[in-house]
Amino acid sequence: MFVKKTLCLTAAATTAALTLAACSGGGGGETTAGGGGRAEDVMLGFYTDKAAWEPSFDTMNEASAAEGLTLDFTGYSDPTAFDSFVKQAFRTDQVPDLFTWHTGSQLAELVEQGLVAETTDLWAEAEANGDVPEGLIDNYTYDGKQYCVPLNVAYWTMYYNKATFEEYGLEVPETWDDLMTIADTLVENGEVPFHQMNIIFEFVWFQAMLAGNAPETYRGLQTGEASYTDPEVVEVMEQWGEMIDKGYFIDPGVSTDPQTLLSTGDVAMAYFGTFFTGQLDGIGAESGTDYGIFPVPNMNPDVEQRQMILETGPLCVGTGSANEQAALDYSAWWLTEEAQNEWSSSRGDVSFNPKADVADPELAALVEEVTGEGSDFEIQQRYLEANPLPVYTLSTEIFGDFVTNAPDPLPGLERLQAEAEAYWAEQ
Amino acid sequence: MTTLTAQRTVTDERPRLNKPPDKFRWSARGFALPSLAIVAVMLYLPFLWTAYLSFTEFNGLGDPEWVGLEKYREMFADAGFLTSVQNTLIWVVGTLVLPVGLGLLIAVLAHEIKGSFWYRLPFLLPYAISGVAVGVIWTFILQTDGALSEALRFLHLPGAELRWLLDAPLNTLVMIVAATWQGAGVNALLFGIGLQSIPKEPMEAARLDGASGWTLFRTMTWPMLAPLTTVVVGLAIVGSLKTFDIIWAMTKGGPGRVSETLALTMYKETFVNNDYGLGAAVALFLTVVTVAASIIYLRRQLSDSKEL
Repeated sequence: MFVKKTLCLTAAATTAALTLAACSGGGGGETTAGGGGRAEDVMLGFYTDKAAWEPSFDTMNEASAAEGLTLDFTGYSDPTAFDSFVKQAFRTDQVPDLFTWHTGSQLAELVEQGLVAETTDLWAEAEANGDVPEGLIDNYTYDGKQYCVPLNVAYWTMYYNKATFEEYGLEVPETWDDLMTIADTLVENGEVPFHQMNIIFEFVWFQAMLAGNAPETYRGLQTGEASYTDPEVVEVMEQWGEMIDKGYFIDPGVSTDPQTLLSTGDVAMAYFGTFFTGQLDGIGAESGTDYGIFPVPNMNPDVEQRQMILETGPLCVGTGSANEQAALDYSAWWLTEEAQNEWSSSRGDVSFNPKADVADPELAALVEEVTGEGSDFEIQQRYLEANPLPVYTLSTEIFGDFVTNAPDPLPGLERLQAEAEAYWAEQ
Repeated sequence: MTTLTAQRTVTDERPRLNKPPDKFRWSARGFALPSLAIVAVMLYLPFLWTAYLSFTEFNGLGDPEWVGLEKYREMFADAGFLTSVQNTLIWVVGTLVLPVGLGLLIAVLAHEIKGSFWYRLPFLLPYAISGVAVGVIWTFILQTDGALSEALRFLHLPGAELRWLLDAPLNTLVMIVAATWQGAGVNALLFGIGLQSIPKEPMEAARLDGASGWTLFRTMTWPMLAPLTTVVVGLAIVGSLKTFDIIWAMTKGGPGRVSETLALTMYKETFVNNDYGLGAAVALFLTVVTVAASIIYLRRQLSDSKEL
């Protein structure tokens, strides 16, 4: 009851404040008070687990200073410690003005407790301005209302070492069979085709293959409508196991950075989010010269639309924080083309805003292919955020073991299904 | 007469020195209060709160919801938890055999050698490094195609193909070796101090009686080291039960959960999986095991030394 009341009050206050801001801002679609309209500059307490991104946020501060808003950056390098910090902060009177979080069930937890400010109006305006692509809003919608704005997006795509491809006369694959032929050629020549990890990203090949084999089943798992023991899922695991047995993947015990492995040619391909471009640039690898990217072809050729996995992380405003309204103004600014142009160039990554320039030509081409006019891509949520936390947690154990030992997949799938059923039974 | 009276007065006052007046006793309690309060707030309250949480469903937000023994049922039904218990036991045994055993060996071999401190010093240095750093160093050595595998391959020795950190229980065993590298030195130091405190006379008497080498160690040195062994072994048991940092740095309890120990399970359930209730149940289980093991061991050892 209290939560509902708080939500209603927050929503009402937000709407009222935004209306006032829109009136005072002089129209033209500006919702922020703007540099001239703000009585005094505000420094917003900003907390994130992306400590390494501090230089990018410094650049953003230069851009947002004109709005009278800057961020006081506190970066955690341990995500677990950061998550605990945020949760504890809500038990004190030091609620963070702005903080990064996770979409999916972890954002739902905060929304249920009324801890994050509603951003429905910001989304409505961003959609009207064409500042957010279709479908992205689903990641931020709970009971028909929006909370937080997207900090970033990443498309999950295949990175490949150009020198290795050239050495063996390989072309970018159009179909799954092409991809498997490339892998065979590489193995025959003593090369390792693919990167794979047994921690953090142990689930990514499952998501790529299942989305490309049976998109409805991939979505169905997220709602409890499909089962982990469905034939399409079993087929994916068997194919994955076969690929492991054929030596397609690097030993998961190698803990060298994937960007190093790709740029040295120790692996020919690595399936990662587009944030990987920044990591490759960081070690001096040149986009388009040393490495290229291509979307993973569908495993099942009968699936009509090509599949693209999208990951997005939210930028949230803490309800009742000292600068709540200013933080919402910052969120509104963050969605704009102007802010996203800065962000994209400072991060060397893609932006969620379709109007923002993407500096890297490889990424720009990918974004155009995925979101441009006449695109035949279907966007899917990343497995991590799309599934309930208890199921995802168990999956790290099951997939971690699978990646390492490639056991019979059925017992693992049955355990996952049992966990999923227990979760959905409680909902 | 005056002298006698004075003496009596002094004699009469003696017991009072041992038993201070009530007002002083209350003052003393007053001085102890701040430290007692700190202990209560920093140790006992969190412990009670953890115990309470273990009977609740709680994700760190809002209010905990009372679920009775549900979290304990969940904990014992979880295959990963049983693996954790098994790995923790391997750590206890491994830590007793390797760091303690090796520490004793180093101390005994270095004892009575001129400049024995300098022999022990290299073994002591790794103790100054944090567990996480030790984990990182040993990951470099033990990862697949890491320094060890490459060295074995170069020397055409067997073992180059082993997946040191991926296969259980091999990964737990090699992590115990890493912990030994770090911890053996401090045990050697403690045993060294123990050896130095053994009186020379009975040892010389034993030598005159013809005891030497293993016999001298078994019949004289080892029994006289007993008080120190109690401390070293007690610390080793408690330390191994709560092992966390090296494992977190080297395998994070994986692949899957095959190298998890109870301390890791507690951390992962609480902070990674956001199941504070289950994490608290594991914490309480670990506390009970640690306290019970310490009490059983110490009582046994102390009663043995009384008999001696």
